[in-house]
Amino acid sequence: MSFNKIKLPNCPDHSSSEDGRLYSESGVDLTLIHWMLSLTPAERLQMLQQTIRSILRMKGDISNT
Amino acid sequence: MTSPTPDFFSILETLSKYEVDFIIVGGVCGVLHGAPVTTFDLDIVHSRIQENVFRLLSALQEMEAYYRGRQDPRLKPDVAHLSSPDHQLLMTRFGPLDLLGTIGAGHSYGDLLQHSDEIEMGNLRLRVLSLEKLIEVKEETGFDKDKAILPVLRQTLLERRKGREQKS
Repeated sequence: MSFNKIKLPNCPDHSSSEDGRLYSESGVDLTLIHWMLSLTPAERLQMLQQTIRSILRMKGDISNT
Repeated sequence: MTSPTPDFFSILETLSKYEVDFIIVGGVCGVLHGAPVTTFDLDIVHSRIQENVFRLLSALQEMEAYYRGRQDPRLKPDVAHLSSPDHQLLMTRFGPLDLLGTIGAGHSYGDLLQHSDEIEMGNLRLRVLSLEKLIEVKEETGFDKDKAILPVLRQTLLERRKGREQKS
């Protein structure tokens, strides 16, 4: 199985809270949690790797390829 | 050659290929449980029984592991290192890998096993520390970096429980 080919099925915009709240009382973004919980563990790990890659790309540490 | 970005899948695949007994902890553990957090390394607690240390050593050799941040840039871990309760901060050709002999208040692989969950990822079966125990360990250590992540972990646990209650 090639994990790099996993397509993430949802995005945070589609993961609103059941009661409509966007943040918890401590300021945690609930939409991101709901989105992550909608993914499988493999998709969550893929998401993390894509995030790291994006951060490093913005820092210029890796090429865009 | 070291990967420019961490390839956690390949590290986990290699450890599994050599049948290493380990539990995923730290930020990647949080992510696997659904917490929206970011980390740049993979933390695992490994079994320090001799047979497992040898299997781990073979996996590390395949991944060309060496110590990060040492004077000797290519110092490699050995059996004595991997048998100790200390933390081994390594770089592999797939990215950073931290081997933790113990975590929190001295919890070893054997202590944590009963607080771990098995998950399937592709053809891999992996052990991850339960979210409840991960929170407990981070509360124990009390480092600022751990405190910073705790609200997200606690909220993820809460939302996950709510989701399960709604399904049942």
